This record gives sequence, structure tokens and C-alpha cells, in this order.
Amino acid sequence: MSTEAAIERPKAHRLTYFVGQNIGLVLALTMLIVAVLLYCLVYWIEQQALPGKFELTSTVNNTMSLVLCGMGQAFVVLTRGLDLSIGGIMDLANALAAVHIKDSIGSMIGWSILILAIGAALGLINGLLVAVGRLQPILVTLATLSIYQGVAIRVLPQPGGSIPPIFSSVLVNPNQPTALVYVLVVALIWYAFRRSSLGVSIFALGNDEQAARANGIDTVRAQVAAFTLSGLMSGAAGLFLAATATAGDATTGNGFTLSSIVAVVLGGMNLFGGRGSGIGVIAGAFVTTMIVNILFFSNIDPLYQSFYEGLFLVIAVVLGSLISRIMRRRS
Amino acid sequence: MRGVPDTASGSTAPAIEGIKLSKAFGGVQALDSASFAARRGEVHALVGENGAGKSTLIKILGGRLHPDSGEVRLAGESVELGSPDVAHGRGVWTVFQELTLLPWMTVAENLLIRREPRGAFGLIDRARMAEEAGSILARLGIRHIDPRRLVEDLSLAQRQMVEIVRVIVQDPDILLLDEPTSSLGENEVEWLFRLIRELRGRNKCIIFTSHRWNEITDVADRITIFRNGGELGTFTEIDESEAVTLMTGQRVEALYPQLSVLKAAQPVLEARGLSGPGISEISLTLHAGEILGVGGLAGHGHRELFSSLFGAASTTGGDILMNGNKVRISSPRDAVSRGIALVPEDRKTEGLILPMSVGINLTLATLSQISLLGVIRGGRERRVALDMVDRLKIRTPGLRNPVQQLSGGNQQKVLLARWLLADSGIVLLYDVTRGVDIATKHEIYELMIRLAGEGRGVLFYSSDAEELAHLSHRVLVMREGRVAAEIRAPGITAEDIVSAAVREASSIVD
Amino acid sequence: MAGRNILAQRLDRIGFTRDVRRIVYVYLAAFLVFAIGQIVHPGFAQLDSIAAILTVASFVGLVAAGQTFVVLIGGIDLSVPWVLNAAAILLVTSSLGEDGRAAYALVITLGMGAAAGIVNGIMIAFLGVPAVVMTLAMNGIMEGLTLGLSGGMTCDSCASYAPPVVQDAVHGSLFGIPMALILWVVIIAIVSFVLSFTTFGRKTYAIGNNVKASYLAGVNVRLVTLLLYTLSGLFAALAGILLVGFGGQASLGMGDPYLFQSIAAVVIGGVYVLGGRGHYLGTAAGAVTLVALVSVLLAMNMPDYGRNIIYGIVILILLLLYGREEKEE
Repeated sequence: MSTEAAIERPKAHRLTYFVGQNIGLVLALTMLIVAVLLYCLVYWIEQQALPGKFELTSTVNNTMSLVLCGMGQAFVVLTRGLDLSIGGIMDLANALAAVHIKDSIGSMIGWSILILAIGAALGLINGLLVAVGRLQPILVTLATLSIYQGVAIRVLPQPGGSIPPIFSSVLVNPNQPTALVYVLVVALIWYAFRRSSLGVSIFALGNDEQAARANGIDTVRAQVAAFTLSGLMSGAAGLFLAATATAGDATTGNGFTLSSIVAVVLGGMNLFGGRGSGIGVIAGAFVTTMIVNILFFSNIDPLYQSFYEGLFLVIAVVLGSLISRIMRRRS
Repeated sequence: MRGVPDTASGSTAPAIEGIKLSKAFGGVQALDSASFAARRGEVHALVGENGAGKSTLIKILGGRLHPDSGEVRLAGESVELGSPDVAHGRGVWTVFQELTLLPWMTVAENLLIRREPRGAFGLIDRARMAEEAGSILARLGIRHIDPRRLVEDLSLAQRQMVEIVRVIVQDPDILLLDEPTSSLGENEVEWLFRLIRELRGRNKCIIFTSHRWNEITDVADRITIFRNGGELGTFTEIDESEAVTLMTGQRVEALYPQLSVLKAAQPVLEARGLSGPGISEISLTLHAGEILGVGGLAGHGHRELFSSLFGAASTTGGDILMNGNKVRISSPRDAVSRGIALVPEDRKTEGLILPMSVGINLTLATLSQISLLGVIRGGRERRVALDMVDRLKIRTPGLRNPVQQLSGGNQQKVLLARWLLADSGIVLLYDVTRGVDIATKHEIYELMIRLAGEGRGVLFYSSDAEELAHLSHRVLVMREGRVAAEIRAPGITAEDIVSAAVREASSIVD
Repeated sequence: MAGRNILAQRLDRIGFTRDVRRIVYVYLAAFLVFAIGQIVHPGFAQLDSIAAILTVASFVGLVAAGQTFVVLIGGIDLSVPWVLNAAAILLVTSSLGEDGRAAYALVITLGMGAAAGIVNGIMIAFLGVPAVVMTLAMNGIMEGLTLGLSGGMTCDSCASYAPPVVQDAVHGSLFGIPMALILWVVIIAIVSFVLSFTTFGRKTYAIGNNVKASYLAGVNVRLVTLLLYTLSGLFAALAGILLVGFGGQASLGMGDPYLFQSIAAVVIGGVYVLGGRGHYLGTAAGAVTLVALVSVLLAMNMPDYGRNIIYGIVILILLLLYGREEKEE
């Protein structure tokens, strides 16, 4: 092999190169594009028109919670763990919001901040149990799920409470897709995270805990931080959930725990940790909602919805891993 | 003793010293009141057999391990190297044998971890990070590693180079290297030695361990020989056979048992044009009663060859023949049923199941022998296992004890016993003596010769060219996935093997 | 430090390993819960009360048997809720409450459970789909199929009862011991035997401890994995059958509580979530402890939320107790 000048690659190579290195993200974005196109197609067949602002608004509004808790789950999955308590934290946030947020600006802002802090604190507890207690994440969060849900039921024993309309419309404006701003915020949070010391330490931890420590990374701090962030995100997700439902319900969180895992997986993130993109997870969350939309508009018996969702998940994962194996071999 | 011992006392305190260091793991005394000193402006080699204590010493000096007793001094001052970070703070950096690279992050991220260049808002500037990494690599003479590549995608040699670069960039005062050349080819070794000499020129202290004698004489100023956890002496000059005698406690000639002459025998295993990931067009013939050695640098296809022959790796071309008939070995299970045994590279992760008992590990490949209709017959299991323990003189508190409680040598014996039970006609041995003490090595050598003597075919890979030279009827040297040379007895030497292995090694360095 | 090692070695030699100790602890815990229950609510530990608790525990225990098998190789089965539910509904709709059709109904119901498990196993073992993802998807698939095919439980035959022979089997008793319990004890014996004394069990533990080494020793990792997930599906279906026999009719969502409870029973029972260690004997005790705990809380008139909270705290405490043992290595 003769010597070459510094690594200058022709443009074409660069693309396959990027794809090979970020295969998860690319697949997730591709899936999103395909899903959107399919949705438009199905919508057109049904309604002889293309989906418009209303559909965009409701889609984004409905997906916000999942985007947030999916991102939270992503932080934990990066460290090779799983956070099953996301649903519980969301329930508690939802319940607290429904009970305590009143019509005044002060109440709305104050309680929102408090709820976010509580979410972070609950995540912190998870993190300490896992990192300091040296317990398995899946088991700790299974237990804390139960505890947090219990507290949520105590706060709001029956579905009820109310959310001030102003609060709802700031978060999930029913007429304009302003929630896209929040999606952008989440994307920016990921962007900053990826380029921060904390991000590096969390990625390193997921790559190889021993090697990370040998590199001087405080893996305990990283793990605690991952769970704390997850709690924070789940708290925010709970707020959006309350805003969308305009009332409280301390039991709807369960579905979100599992959905957050689906969003992470569809987003191309590896459950073994250490790699993946939060942008992919955002895409994964939207794909999840798109599937529901597509099923709705293709007149499939709604009772069979779970069937198609499950089928889709398996196919997506199998195809995804097949394609990524091929792409990596070629890059 | 003909080596020239080092008698200069030196007017200044040594750069780094270990004084009467002891360290034990479980029941094994890795270091026994060992002392060591290295100076500024010198390259100091640590040599000794596996298990002599070199790695343990390096880990203690590098802050990775705490000694049970003894002290470490830097420039005469006693220090407590509580962690690698503390050592780094004092200018002591180590390149360990187990690479500490993060596989799913890029070369740039690995090189600059915790020192990443920052841009707007204090966030890491990834573009600049890649640029800086590129210039670091270029400055050190490496042009063929793209800093944006994931470490996972690099070859073993490239990874080792990145690990070395990572440490050298920190400008260490004292550089410790544990087996730095194990995966490097000739050019890359030259590159490393150039760097080491340059550091020496700047009055730094470099300590490294190696198995390869020619490297040691090439670059080391002084050599300290270790055996059984203690140092035997420091020399400025010593010839190889003396050193080996010191390292092993025996004369070179007595190290290896006598190999029996191979009578003409029929082929038991044949590969014709075998190709697959990592290997291409391999053809070889293994005969009954033969010990066929396989040599070459690490990472040149041996592992893939052995895996393919055992059905643990898929092949893309060529055939495998057993006793003259073409066969398709689809899985290790298939291989076992055809009478092939494999003692894999890393006994702790691929061979033994450490938390499980000695008895279970022994019988894992021959469960059908000790069971009836799927139900295990306890009495039979015990008898069979005890018989093996006895035959191979395996030292264990009991059959039920987890195999991880045993010493390295005894663990290896358990692994070998597993395959002896299987009574295989073809035995594939991959680096069986790595990390095994001298006495057990002897026993393993004798076992190998006996296996061959019983008419089995033994395919034997070793990273130790001396072993290959003394124990094989023939040696095939692999390079870049192909058979580069075949060397026949009598008169196989380690030099022949090594030179065939490194000739025209890939140049990824200027 | 050295002294502890020697003690550990001696204990290992006679088979009283850490894992065995853990199982003993769980039985002690179960006993403790009953004792506390008796103190807090006299009459709690009476024979028929215990029998009732054990019967309920047997349902958890059945699902947990399947869960034990897959957790032992480091996997998990998140599809049990709807495999269970589907089995219950399938049994009633295919037997239509008639004994004559009972045999047929049982066969196809168990077959369905096995089929779900086989699909899980194939995807996980042969296509490399992570267990969390595959079984999660399977749960959704079973839910969709069940809801869709039964029209949301509005089909004509959906309101049928379980065949009387099944109902009697669950409700009946032999020498005063409930049949469900006897059945469970038989299952405990069989599963324990398989795990401890068969080559299949041995291979399971080997794989759970070290997949690569097992593979290279000639163990058919894929086949064993497939069989384990098949067993899990089978047990979930069996639990569904017994549950509907117990309750008479099937309902939607009857399987949901069993996911959490089966995993909790497995964990409390000392089965290591990454695989390779633990035993069904522990899981069984774990199931009893959990159900007994819930009963005590109910007997104390603890409200819903309190139960959830105490449940979670108890699990955490037990984990911390086991967790400390892990650090010994």
C-alpha cells in the first residue's frame, strides 16, 4: 500500500461512509419518510385530498409525549439499561398537573417547574439504586414503577382534575402545529447532549464500562445522570399528556413505557447501548404515531390495531438489522 | 552466568521503582516481594514466562492495582498510586494489554476523550476533533487510519496503534507498555520503536514487556528477568538461551519433550482452497499421529481457520475433507459429533464456563455419555469426572467447586479434559499454553505428544514460535489469511517461523 | 477476606452454594409474610386461608415457570399477558362449555400457546431479534388477533363457560387439598427435575452463563432457546386455561397483572436476570411470598395505592439484600 496524503475521500464515498456509521439514524429517517408517504397515500384514497394543517397539528400534538419519554428512554438505553418506570413518572406528573395546576400564570409555570423537578428526582432515585446499589436497571425500575404509580393513584384516585385551557394550548395548541417548536427543542437538547462531557461519558459507559473507567470517566455519575434525565423527560411527557387529555388519569402511563421502548428501537438505537441517535428516536416516535394513523385511514378494523403494530415492529427490526449488516460490510 | 549484569548504581534516584512488591489473587501469588527499578533516558524490558508477574508489576506501577505489600517510588519519593488517574497526574502512563478503546466511538473520539476541542456554547466541535486527531496521527507518522472511523471497524493492529498513540500524545514521563507488539507487524513494530527511541532521547523512561527476543535486544538498554513472581536479575546484555534458562528455570533443551518421528500416515483432515472472512485459499492436510503447527502474527487468520474447521464460522468457498470424504461442518455440535475438538483461544470467555462447577465443565461436551434419555446419571458423571481429574492431576477442592476458583493451569487442564472425554480423532488446539505456568505447560506438551501418538491428528496454533518449533512435525505459517510457508522437521527454528510471518507485512506506516 | 473465600469454597463443595442459600431465604420470607399476616390479622394463617392464597399463587407460579425458563438464558417473555388471555378465550369459544369438546379445546389452546412461543423462539434464536422487542411485539400481535377475532369479546361463543371438567379440576380437592395446588406441586416437581437433572436443564444453565463457551462445547444454543420460549408460551396458555376454569368465564385484560407478577416472582425467587443462576423452587416461593403479601395488605384494608407502593418497596428491599450478595464476587 503506497502512502497517500491525509484522508481525502471523494464525495460519493463520504455518503456511504456516513450511512455505514450512522445506519440506525438513516433507517429511522427512511422509515419516517416512507410512513409519511404511505399515510398521504392512504389519506388520499380515503378523502381525495392530502392531509393538511389539522392533521399535522393533531399528529404532532399526539406524538409529543412519546417524543419526550422516548428521548428519556434513549438516555437510559445508551447506558445499556432499560427504564420501566417511565410510565409511572408520567402518571405522577399527569396526576399532579391535573390536581394542582390552576388558572394563573404563576401556578402554571411554578407547578410545571416543580413537576419537572419531581420527575428528575424520581429518576435520580432510580439512578442511585442502579449505580450505587449495583442493581439491575430492569428490576429497579420495575419496582419503582409500582411505587410511582401508587403515589400517582394517591394523588389522583379517579380520573379527573382539570387542566387550564391556556396551559393546554401553549403545550399542544389545537389549531396550529406549534408543538413542532418543542420537537425542535428536544432535537436541540439531543444535539447539545451528544457534544457535551456528560454525553461522552454516557456513550462511553454504554460502549464498555471497564474501558470507560480506564479512561477516567466517572461511570457512576454517568449512569445516575442518564436516569435523572430520563425522569426529567418523563415528567415533561406527563405534562404534555395532561395537556392533551385536558384532564388527569393516573393509569395511562403503562402504555407509554412500552411505547418508549418501541420508539427507541425504531429509532435505530441498539438495546445493548453505546450507540444511536436521539434524532432517530424522535423519528421513531413519529413512525409509531404514523402507523396508527395509517391503520385508521386504511379502514382496518381497529380491534386489530395491536396486531399490525406488533407485526410492524418485528418486520422493522428484522429488516433494519439485515440492512445495517449489509451496509456496514460495504462501508 | 554469562549475561552481563547491570552493576552501575546510578547517581540519581531511579525514575520509577517498585520495592518488595507482593500481590496475590485468590490463592495464587502473582508477585512475591519483587523489586524493580528503571531510570530516566532508558528503555527497560521486562521478560519472563506467562504468569511470572510482569503484567501484575506493570499494573501496580501504572496505578491499576494495589499491591498487598511493598511500595512504589517515583524519583525516590514514595507514592500511593491509587488509580490510573493518579498515576497520570504523576506522568506515568500505561498501554495495557487489554485495549481500553471504546469500540462504537470514532478514532478521534477515543484519542481525544476528555480533552475534546470545544466550540460554540462550550460544546464539542466534532469537525475540529477529527482534524486534530488527524494531525496527531500524521505527526506520529500514521496516514492510513481515518480518524472518523469507528474503532470497531479497525483491524487488531490498527487498534493497538491507536491505543499506543493515545498514550504517547499525553507526553508521559514514564511510559509502561504491556505486550505492545503482540498484534503488530514488522513495519508497525519499527514505527513503535522509533517513537520509543525518540522518547528515550528526551530523557523519558520506557518500560515494556515482550515475548519476542529479537525486539528486546533491538531496543532495550537493560533487561530484567522475572520468574514465579520475583525478579532474577537485571542485565545490560544477555544471550537468549541464558535468558530462557533463567526464565524457565531449566535448560532450553529440557523444556520440550521429545517429539516422536512421524511414520507415514493417512490424512484425517484436509482443507482444499478454504476461503471465508479472514482466510483465503487455505489448503492443508493433517495426518493421523501428526502435530501440525500453525504460526504467524496475531490477527492473520488463524482464529478464523480454526473456527471454520470447527464449524463455528461460515466459509465462502473450498472444501473440508475428513478421511477422504467431503464434509460440511455446519456447527460446533456437528464438529463434535464428527470427532473434532477445539480448545479455543480464550479459555475464560470461550472455553470454560467460569461460574459453573468443575464437574459440569468437564462433561459439557459429552453429556450423552453420562445421561440416559436426557436424564443425567449422577453416579456415572462423578466417576467419569473423577477419573479425568486423576489422570490429568487437576488440583481442585472438589468437583462441585466453580472452575473459576482454580489456577490458570488447572483451568486449562479442565478444558483439555473435556475434550479428552470426547475422544476426538482431530484435536484443534489454539494457544493452549497461554497464561499457564511452566510445570503445567510441560504436562500439556506431554499430553499433546501422547494424543498424537495415539493416532489422532493435532492442529496446533501458538503465539510462541519456540513452542511451535519444538513441538510440531510441520509448521504452516499464515500471513494475511493465507498459508505463506510450510516448514518441515527436522530443524524447524523459531526464526524461520517469525521471518516467514513478517516478510512483506502490510505497511500502514511510512 | 481469605477466610471468607475458604468458607465459600467449603460450602460450594457440599453443594450449599449461594444460589441454594437464596432459595432458602425466599422460603423463609414466605413464612415470614404468613407470620406477619397472622399477627396483623388473626386467622390469616388458617388452613383454608393459606390454601386460597396458594391457589392464587399457583396461577402466578405457572406463568412464572415459563418466565423462569427464559430468564435463565438471559431472556424475558413480555408476551405472557395476551397469550394467557388468548388461551382463556380460545378455550371457552372452542369448547362452548361442553365436556365433549374439552379435549379438542385443550389441545388447540395449548397448541396455540406453544405456537406463540415457537414464533418467539425462532425470531429470537434464529433471526437475532432482541427478546424484549420480539415478545413485546408478540404481545401486541396476540392482543390484536384476540380482539379482532373475537370482535372485542362480542362474538356469540365468547360468553361461554369453561368446560365443567376443567372447572372441577381447578375447584376440586383431593384429601382436602385444592386440585389446583396439587397440579402446581406436580409442575414444580417436573420443572425442578428438568432444571436440575436433565441434559436440557444443564444446557440451559450453561447458555445462561456463557453462550459462546456453550456453543463451542457443542451445545445447540438455538434449539434450546427455541424450546425454552416454546415452554414459556405453553405455560402461559396453561395458566390461562386454569384461570378461566377458576373464574368460569373469560374476560379482556385478565392476563395483564401476570406479567409484572411473574417477573417479580422470578426475581424474588433468586433467578438472576442476566441468566445462568437460580431455580424454579425459588420462583415458586417467590410467587407465594408475593401473593401472600398482597393478601396481607388486602386484609389490612390497605387502599390500592398503598399496595402498589409497598409492593415496589418490598421488591427493592429484597433486591438490595440479594444485590449485596452479588458484590461478593
